[in-house]
Amino acid sequence: MRGRINAGLVIGGVLVGLVVLLALLSFGWTPRDPVLVDAAAKLHEPGGGYLLGADKFGRDTFSQLMVGARTTLYVGVVAVGIAAIIGTPLGIIAGMTSGRLGWLSELIMRVNDLVFAFPALLLAIMLGAVYGAGTLTAMIAIGVATVPAFARVSRAATMQVMVTDYVLAARAAGRRRTAVALRHVLPNISSVLIVQASVSFAIAILAEAALSFLGFGTRPPIPSWGRMLQESQELLFSTPRLALWPGLAIALAVLGFNLLGDGLRDYLDPKLRRIRAER
Amino acid sequence: MLSVEGLTVRAGSVELVRDVSFEIGPGERVGLIGESGSGKSLTALSLMGLLPEGVTAAGAARLGERDLVGVPERRLKALRGQDVSMVFQEPMTALNPLMRVGAQVTEVMTLHGRPAGQARARAVELLGRVRLPQPEQVARAYPHQLSGGQRQRVMLAIALANEPGLLICDEPTTALDVTVQKQMLDLIAEVAPALLFITHDLAVVASVCERVLVMYGGRVVESGPIREVFGNPRHRYTEGLLAASRLTPRGTRLPVIAGSVPAAGQFPDGCVFTNRCPHATPACEQEPALTGEGHAHACRHPADRG
Amino acid sequence: MILYLLRRLAVFVLSTAVAGVLVFAFMAVLPGDPAEVALGVNATPEAVAALREQFGTDRPAITQFFDWFGGLVTGDFGTSYVTSSPIGPQIGDRLGVTAVLVLGGMLIALIIAVPAGTFAAVHHRNPLGAVISAFSQVGIAVPAFLAGILLVFVFAVQAQVLPSGGYVPIADDPVEWLRGLLLPWLSLGLVQGAVLTRYVRSAVLDVMREDYLRTARAKGRGRMGALWRHGLRNASIPVITVLGLQLATLLIGAVVVERVFVIPGLGDLLLNGVAGRDLLLVQCVVMVLVVAVLLINLLVDLAYAALDPRLRGAR
Repeated sequence: MRGRINAGLVIGGVLVGLVVLLALLSFGWTPRDPVLVDAAAKLHEPGGGYLLGADKFGRDTFSQLMVGARTTLYVGVVAVGIAAIIGTPLGIIAGMTSGRLGWLSELIMRVNDLVFAFPALLLAIMLGAVYGAGTLTAMIAIGVATVPAFARVSRAATMQVMVTDYVLAARAAGRRRTAVALRHVLPNISSVLIVQASVSFAIAILAEAALSFLGFGTRPPIPSWGRMLQESQELLFSTPRLALWPGLAIALAVLGFNLLGDGLRDYLDPKLRRIRAER
Repeated sequence: MLSVEGLTVRAGSVELVRDVSFEIGPGERVGLIGESGSGKSLTALSLMGLLPEGVTAAGAARLGERDLVGVPERRLKALRGQDVSMVFQEPMTALNPLMRVGAQVTEVMTLHGRPAGQARARAVELLGRVRLPQPEQVARAYPHQLSGGQRQRVMLAIALANEPGLLICDEPTTALDVTVQKQMLDLIAEVAPALLFITHDLAVVASVCERVLVMYGGRVVESGPIREVFGNPRHRYTEGLLAASRLTPRGTRLPVIAGSVPAAGQFPDGCVFTNRCPHATPACEQEPALTGEGHAHACRHPADRG
Repeated sequence: MILYLLRRLAVFVLSTAVAGVLVFAFMAVLPGDPAEVALGVNATPEAVAALREQFGTDRPAITQFFDWFGGLVTGDFGTSYVTSSPIGPQIGDRLGVTAVLVLGGMLIALIIAVPAGTFAAVHHRNPLGAVISAFSQVGIAVPAFLAGILLVFVFAVQAQVLPSGGYVPIADDPVEWLRGLLLPWLSLGLVQGAVLTRYVRSAVLDVMREDYLRTARAKGRGRMGALWRHGLRNASIPVITVLGLQLATLLIGAVVVERVFVIPGLGDLLLNGVAGRDLLLVQCVVMVLVVAVLLINLLVDLAYAALDPRLRGAR
């Protein structure tokens, strides 16, 4: 059973598609060199080869936005990947074990709660303090901090799937736990996971932007939306457009992934709707 | 007491209940039976002014001198819980989980103007009247501390608190254990003023009510005293319903009615039962009227088993 | 009831202890010796050893941990290796500023979200409700620091009615204190308010479908009367869960917003500590923030027990 395509899905899909397109395009082509410092083009007004103008180092804003999209997606994909790869199996195990193995489920969820007390930003700052800030530490921190969301959601979904007739039948037929988990549980909770991934991606973008803003994310000179914002702040009085574009990019990308997540939930999964993706 | 004239309930352009008319005299106990989707709950809710959003009622229904249909919410509010009360099907969720039982009974009285102190004392008295043991303790309990049967008694106490002229019960025992059902039914029969009792269970209606209305496809297809309707059903739907029920001795039961109840708005024109009726003829394409004094039926080919 | 409280309290204490071990272990793996770092490359081995003894870093890790953790519990946070000033008082001062920032933001979020969410739920069938939902969706997409920058642009750059940053202690000048905090509060509160509006809306919508609301109306309450008397308290239970999570989010969001508005709170202290390689300070601030998050979780659980009689008998 599939739901209908809804407005949120379309708008979200378009916004996400736009970000992906800009990022892919930036591998082969940008209007100008995004990292080239050019004193002659310092604070160049929009137009004349600089679509959205240039910053105080004469770097083209639009080219920076394009490469920034790449940074954003890169961090998001790796962070959500880490969270999904660790969190999903933990959640499935916690959802499948009860009774004699109940302690395992309890243990997983307790550890989960504890990790939850370490928000992404705090983890990244700690990691940055010890190992030096950078894209890698930011991705790991955001990924680890997102593990509990995946674990909780997949646990809740697994618990629902475990009491369905086909799983009960498979277990009655003596199927091994791992076989049940892989053949029945995982496919049936996959739509919930896709929705969670989309929502987590939005949060990862927010976290990456915040970290770059604080100087704990992607290192210069690689462009990143968060750092563009931070650099623009001192020029807010004279050149506010420098804050406008990266700010808009962040907001639209986050909006896109959130709408996509909500839209996918309505489209993919009328059955498990009661399970909300965790923000 | 209660008189309903041409009650029609619509959701948009779909007619869910059509042209229903009946009367209930003072102290009379009337059953309303039919399968789910027949429109019996909507009929009851429209008398309470509690139809879901987007669903509207037309026609006339009056309780004594007061109109119940087509009246602004402000005036209906004053009637609900005061002149008409209702007990719902699901006792487990019908009470506010965060509020003590006594306060929930008291509320319906203070809401209609009784002083708080008096209402509190009467709440305990009412809990005793619906045969809850140790009513003082029950009044201090929260709903989750009571069983389903006990909660339904609390609902009954709430419904009776202001001595309404009419009590509506919508499947009040369906969710209860069989052992508790009988006690509950006896209690309702004992304490009810005039009663409109909704159920799909023919045996239940036979034990509580004096008169019965059979609904199908949003219409009353047969009505009359229980003894006559159940002993000598005229409408083919009633006939099928009875044949399939546990009122008929085992072994002589007929197979259930063919097919299933269509979705709202999908009923055939003319006689709504045509598509499932073994006796249907082209004549049935014209809608039959509900005819007959006392024992009335709306069927072109009525059963007549004497 | 008492058992429930004790259980929650035990979970809190245990989590705090484990979090302490994690934070300590994490910072302890750091290469480099604080004493060497403090004295620089030209220091004599004797001087380093002496300083090491003074810092206490020559002792086994276990002893150091218990020393540090025991200190935390008694309020003695130790002395910074870098600035040689005691850490406790610094954290104390900054904690107050951050708490005011976070609570003010939360208050604004609630003032926005409760009426807006309830309104959107009651009017979920008409366009006005949909507009509120759309606004909250957009609000969620704007991070607090971006909201801060936008607010600065509007109120400090364009209208020039509020300062773009800085912090004046309330004892010095209450009016300037308030003016300085307004924009930071709004940047935290507007965004969280947008997020919270969605949750309030769905909680109220869920409650509106409950049977006991129909019961209340059958008693003679109007639609709004039933919702007010019977719905809101029930709806507050799921909202409180989110509120707890949000307080934690706000606490972390405050770290960034403090940077935007140059407010001397815990976040500022933490970032300065990282910049100055003052690891003991970082360790302590991180621990304080984590304990604050755990404490919020505990408070949420206690709020449940106070609100929901079904929990009072539990466990």
